[in-house]
Amino acid sequence: MRTRVLTVLFACLVWTSVGCGKKEGGAAAGPGEPAHVDGTPHTDQVVNAWKGAGFPAEGFAAIDPTAYRAGYCSQGRVGGIDALICEYRDDDSIDRARKLIQDEWGKEGVHTGVALRSKRTLVAVADRGRSDPSGKTINKLLDTFKKL
Amino acid sequence: MRKGLAALVGIIALVSLTAAAEARSIRYHAQHPIPAKFGGGFCYITEPHVHAFGPSDPRLYRMHDEEYYFVGDPTPFGYDGPRYSYYGPHPVVDVGVEFGEPVYCYLDGPHYHWYQPVAQAQFEFRGGAYWYVGDYDPIYYRQRGRYVAINEAYRPVVWERPVVDVTVAPPAFHGVIVAGPGVHGHAVVAAPAFSAGVHVAVPPPPSVHVGVGVGVGGPVVVGHEHVIVAEPPPRTVIIREHHDNGRHEGWYKHGKH
Repeated sequence: MRTRVLTVLFACLVWTSVGCGKKEGGAAAGPGEPAHVDGTPHTDQVVNAWKGAGFPAEGFAAIDPTAYRAGYCSQGRVGGIDALICEYRDDDSIDRARKLIQDEWGKEGVHTGVALRSKRTLVAVADRGRSDPSGKTINKLLDTFKKL
Repeated sequence: MRKGLAALVGIIALVSLTAAAEARSIRYHAQHPIPAKFGGGFCYITEPHVHAFGPSDPRLYRMHDEEYYFVGDPTPFGYDGPRYSYYGPHPVVDVGVEFGEPVYCYLDGPHYHWYQPVAQAQFEFRGGAYWYVGDYDPIYYRQRGRYVAINEAYRPVVWERPVVDVTVAPPAFHGVIVAGPGVHGHAVVAAPAFSAGVHVAVPPPPSVHVGVGVGVGGPVVVGHEHVIVAEPPPRTVIIREHHDNGRHEGWYKHGKH
């Protein structure tokens, strides 16, 4: 019984140490972990701007940026809409990623999707649940992002 | 049995293909109406975006770089954002929208757009609307036959058009105003090819419309409190190609009798 409890505690410790590094706005990236890209709005800045504008943001966490040819990526939901934020080091990668994302939306049949860049940060929002039929929320999210 | 299996495989393949064909993204450049079967109303996204549905009526759009750009009056679709009044055909002067060539709105008479003319565009604001007072690019005439169909798309639609006082139309306006009860504000802009000829318009029988909004060829919206047009001519109206510099020698002259 005691061994079992110790094992669970150890597992929790490991999970916490790994999980913390992945949390949005957490400590500096460790070796091998993606780092934020300088000279462009960071993912946590975008999320904080959305929160500051009154949009509930939830579940934002860093994801593997290589899937989107980015230097750093974060994914979550804001105002009931799926959002992906990625930081890039070059324009070509942004263009390719945008195409990739739009192709994915096409295959998936996403109801509404917008991929917008500001400097070298790309925001891709997808309204899969039709929670924003008029697009007004999406437009405000984009306006907030463009001001960064 | 074998035949049935083959048929089943065929059906599955067909269904898969259909699903793949339907799972597509349609690109829009900016705001636009939403087709009724997808909920109706208006999409207010001002940035290029995609939807899983196409436009309900392509006559209301212009295609550029594989993106649909809505060129119509957004009012009938429940649009509640900022809007500006225009009279007659004019270049599309939406800030940040570049088509690579002049693109024109071919809507007749008074109508709204969500954009205000950019400062350098040749518009004059008179009588409650922006009037285009510049020259039309040859492309305007070349494409008119194709895009003037937008007026047909709006004909069955009932909506509140802007109230425009056509009696103060700018002298530099290239079109000729044909406005009066029954016609309710109609601008005709002739192509250079017709410059030596005349246009003959036959308005409907005269009638009195006091406190009536302006509508073109469609149902009239009632609710405004002032008369904005003069009496119509008794029958035929002869319209000259160019504006008569404020003398209004067409129907308007008759209307003042």
